[in-house]
Amino acid sequence: MAPTIVQFAPLPSQTHPSFWHKLTELKLDVLKLSDAEVDIIGSYGVGKLIKDREGGPGAYVGVTGSLSVEEQSFGQGHPPSISNIAAKGTVKNYNTIEEFKAADKTKLFNEAADKIWTSVQTTKSTSLLNSFLLITFADLKKYKYYYWFAFPAFVSTPAWHIDSDAGWSSVSAPNSGLAHNQLTSIHDQLSKSSKSLPYFLVRSSDPEVAEIVPVEQYDPQTDSSSAIGFIDPSAQAQNPGWPLRNLLAYLRALHPNISVAKVLCWRDAEVAKEVGEWKSRIGLLTVGDGSTPTEVKAASTRPNAVGWEKNVQGKLGPRMADLAPMMDPARLANQAV
Amino acid sequence: MHALQQQYWSIRDYLSPVLKESKFKEHGRITPEEFVAAGDFLVYKFPVWSWEKGDPSKARDFLPADKQYLVTRGVPCLRRASSLAYTDAEEDAERLLTFDDSGPSDGDEWVETHAGRKSNMDASNPGEIKDIPDDGHQDDLTSGMGGLSVDEVPGEIPDMDDIPDMEEEDLEAGDEATAAPKTSNVIDASQVEVASGNLLQVRTYDVMITYDKYYQTPRSWLLGYDENRTPLTPAQIFQDVSADHAQKTVTIEPFPHHSSLQAASVHPCKHASVMKKVIERMNNSVIAEQLAQQQKAASSPKESKKKWPFSRKSGGSKDAGTPTGEDEEVEGMRVDFYLVVFLKFIASIVPTIEVDSTTAF
Repeated sequence: MAPTIVQFAPLPSQTHPSFWHKLTELKLDVLKLSDAEVDIIGSYGVGKLIKDREGGPGAYVGVTGSLSVEEQSFGQGHPPSISNIAAKGTVKNYNTIEEFKAADKTKLFNEAADKIWTSVQTTKSTSLLNSFLLITFADLKKYKYYYWFAFPAFVSTPAWHIDSDAGWSSVSAPNSGLAHNQLTSIHDQLSKSSKSLPYFLVRSSDPEVAEIVPVEQYDPQTDSSSAIGFIDPSAQAQNPGWPLRNLLAYLRALHPNISVAKVLCWRDAEVAKEVGEWKSRIGLLTVGDGSTPTEVKAASTRPNAVGWEKNVQGKLGPRMADLAPMMDPARLANQAV
Repeated sequence: MHALQQQYWSIRDYLSPVLKESKFKEHGRITPEEFVAAGDFLVYKFPVWSWEKGDPSKARDFLPADKQYLVTRGVPCLRRASSLAYTDAEEDAERLLTFDDSGPSDGDEWVETHAGRKSNMDASNPGEIKDIPDDGHQDDLTSGMGGLSVDEVPGEIPDMDDIPDMEEEDLEAGDEATAAPKTSNVIDASQVEVASGNLLQVRTYDVMITYDKYYQTPRSWLLGYDENRTPLTPAQIFQDVSADHAQKTVTIEPFPHHSSLQAASVHPCKHASVMKKVIERMNNSVIAEQLAQQQKAASSPKESKKKWPFSRKSGGSKDAGTPTGEDEEVEGMRVDFYLVVFLKFIASIVPTIEVDSTTAF
């Protein structure tokens, strides 16, 4: 019965080569020497569990969903689906590596976090909760692209806890509170929705169906037993994905008295073939570890935020995409003759 | 030389007429309408696939503007095909197969290397593709590709020396609610040790299927990312192609629906003949199944519904007008199914990329 702090799996970034092609085009033809921020739309999907055919029966490999940007990110993005949850972001491309290095990252990050917080406070909308920031430097001569993503997430104080014995359990478990038919109906509604539904509220009065409504309609009076769902890019059993952080922050900002939340981590891109094969997970979160009474903080002050992506070495630093092997005409000609 | 060749291909493609008549059972080629119908079926049945419109300036007018090519993103690839270790026992398990049960005759046999392993279905290893096409550049091309050493893989981790002073650990204070990348119960692939001692490096692929007007078949394209989600180099992609094909049938080409994107492509020159054989085989079993079901349906009418997916109505295909009902003629495999079969064929060329999510069939 010991509560442990809920740890969220960071959202990895993925840059499609066409994103860099488009950025190059934009830089040469439109932006030129300007380093103004450009609005883009990224997308992420649910985390996947892949059956490992060589790893013996029951061996699964988790592949975390990533936030990906590509050519379409500069336009309308993709039509929404469970695999394509839209996330708004901005890209800021620097002209020189020196400027890229010297950029005031703390300031940029705070601005991005402020924007999310202001939108929560003023519009009470969830539309910016999963927004992100990207700074880049494009070395057009060498086809090298330096980039650094940030996914601002508000730090909850006191932190959210989950019972370490119960933990996150599969929705297929009998005590999950959601029957197979309800899960199927959730899947249907998520996949048929015409707009992207990164966050949703599951109201299940009927044992056969579950109704999905936007999380904006959360009412602390009537929704105490409703599950708060989100499209979960994480594939790790005991770590929900990054987008949940801002969703919880959003709920606490607008409903400061919330101390318990039933969270549904939606990880099923397809309807489960068998009753027991749903991959989504559910958990009951509480604010604080119960040792000290939770203090209701003034909801208007912005909590601290974290979320710079770590590089390949696990350090806070930029990443680099080297597209020379795929773009450099000289090298392509070399291997193609 | 390669540029010349590509120029030649594009002109040849431009001049070749659009296939109008459906002949997929006779020679394995399909019309653009059938490609769209088969694509619709694939998207409907397996939502991981979706239609894309691509670059409008590169759109092909014989395909609907919003259905230019099919794409699925983030297809996992758990192991390198080149690292699949075969034991002697497995080599002994190789079987010479032929489509024709009456005996080996015209060199149609092929080697099934996975005899000891569980195969998804009979059609998953449909043959070997030997040549690069007809245009006389064969030798140059093969020797060129042969000169590519797959072992010369540049470091998996990009060289960060170029930007030495950019680690900013003080940018953020430690955060107790951030999951460490390595925790005990993580099934994250990069940490899973498999029995053979290989460390899994899960790559992901974007797989595209376009329609090739000249060969009148679908053509598949691959864009890969390593476990850190940085794009793969051509040499790295070849590690995921089965050794029989890596140096011959898979090449890096400009992707036709994008202005400057390069992707690895399985050359479609032998697609039609391989598809024809696979389809013939499947068709026979489908017909047998349909006959059996029809007989069953005669006794209990409700059973006839089970015939789906083979008898599903398709949008643009030729035989859409066939009357449905009890006395429906046995029509065999529908063209809708073409791309599902095609995926199984592609899966044999890139055995470790899980393109074939259609194992339910």
